[in-house]
Amino acid sequence: MSFLHIENINKAFGSDSIVKNLQLTLENNRTLSILGKSGCGKTTMLKIIAGLIKPDSGTIRLNNKTITEQPAAKRNIVYLYQEDLLFPHLTVFENIAFGLRIQKKSKDEIQDQVESMINSLELSGHKHKMPQQLSGGQRQRVSFGRAIITNPSLLLLDEPFGSLDSMTRQNMQSLFKSLAQQFHITSLFVTHDLKEALLMGDEIAYMDAGYLKVYKEKSDFMKDKSTGVLAEVEFWNGIASDLSSNFISS
Amino acid sequence: MVKVKNIALGIYIALIAFPFIYLLILSFSADWRFPELWPQYFGLRNWSRVISGETGLLSSFVLSLVISLSVATSATLTGFFISRYVNYHPKKRLWTLITYFPYVLAPVVFGACLSFYFIKVGLFGNTAGVILSQFIIAFPYALIFFSSYWGEQTREYENLVATLGGNPWTTYTKVLIPMAGPLMMICFFQTFLISWFEYGLTSIIGVGKVETLTIKVFLFIKEANFYYGAMSCCLLILPPALLIYFNKKYVFNKLI
Repeated sequence: MSFLHIENINKAFGSDSIVKNLQLTLENNRTLSILGKSGCGKTTMLKIIAGLIKPDSGTIRLNNKTITEQPAAKRNIVYLYQEDLLFPHLTVFENIAFGLRIQKKSKDEIQDQVESMINSLELSGHKHKMPQQLSGGQRQRVSFGRAIITNPSLLLLDEPFGSLDSMTRQNMQSLFKSLAQQFHITSLFVTHDLKEALLMGDEIAYMDAGYLKVYKEKSDFMKDKSTGVLAEVEFWNGIASDLSSNFISS
Repeated sequence: MVKVKNIALGIYIALIAFPFIYLLILSFSADWRFPELWPQYFGLRNWSRVISGETGLLSSFVLSLVISLSVATSATLTGFFISRYVNYHPKKRLWTLITYFPYVLAPVVFGACLSFYFIKVGLFGNTAGVILSQFIIAFPYALIFFSSYWGEQTREYENLVATLGGNPWTTYTKVLIPMAGPLMMICFFQTFLISWFEYGLTSIIGVGKVETLTIKVFLFIKEANFYYGAMSCCLLILPPALLIYFNKKYVFNKLI
């Protein structure tokens, strides 16, 4: 059986059905990108998997254990929001060490692991700073470090780079790729950015009006008209041909 | 232009500082009769009577401190915890509306309405009754004060701590309370002031037996003892002045 196995998850708030018959499998150390418009049910789906919202029906199995009824604190699944949510009263070091302190790791262990994480995040020299003294990208790195250091079975990322400028976003995308490899992360990466979805995922899925469609191959995703890839390609081809005709005429 | 600016500043300082300077001078005075410009006696006699306990001001000061610290501590803590449940409740708007009810009536009228129940439970004319009556006014204030803290972002922090493996105790002690620290300080300060200057409820529920400093000020003024009245006013200003200083130094600067 797959590392993450989700079957028939449904969730409605009153008469509004938000997540419909969710089916999903994911192997260990893989990232599944999930593309979808705002309000399509992505966040509710992630919160159900994290244990923050109770589903109406269905089962979630992680690493061969059914976790559907387990509380969030026992699942070993970390949910990362679009905002970094750094604790404003703690330094960078203490923010990253937060999960390890909950796990009651020894002082030396915490010191070693946090120092090494700070180096991996390219944040050496910032460990004593308060969150308010960091840039948006640096804050998001600390947020990643705080989550990854706890060695979660599954990492859920809810549009984590949504509030960053395009340059910082690119840097963070490559940093996440390298961290995912280095720390063997299994993750669901939710985004509404098409390019980001293609770049970040080993596999790709599209969510629309509560339904999730997982594609076997990225090429299937690109060929599907509903994902908007073809329209995007057409748009850029039009721009490219305009540019080249202008260039020839000049 | 500079002259006008200096005059304006002078007037401003005089208007703000004059009442306090006048109160201080009056507290050191005795036998100050019109049209004399300076009192016949000016010295430490009044204040030495405070220290000797002769005037009852020292005991009133200590009693007021005990009452206000109890009210501020209990209202801030219960307000902080209970406002979480009120603000996360699906019927939040209804609960918030109910929270404003104690302010529909003036405290004196409210106290008069409640006095029957205070007599029944034996809390009429004693310190515990005064603390409870003031808490009834300060607690809704704390509930309203903390309502802005329990928003979507705070809930996201709680969820984050849960997914990092933290239990509710960790969430409160390591995140929610430290993050709300400056707000709690301000709420403590405000509820302390509500209690410290409270007169109507205290006079009704205390029935003259619980002589707080505010009650004492009015007693001295009724007796036309302006020197003791001024002295008790100086004592009345002291704790709020200290709280303003500490708040400004350690809380407001951090918030800004």
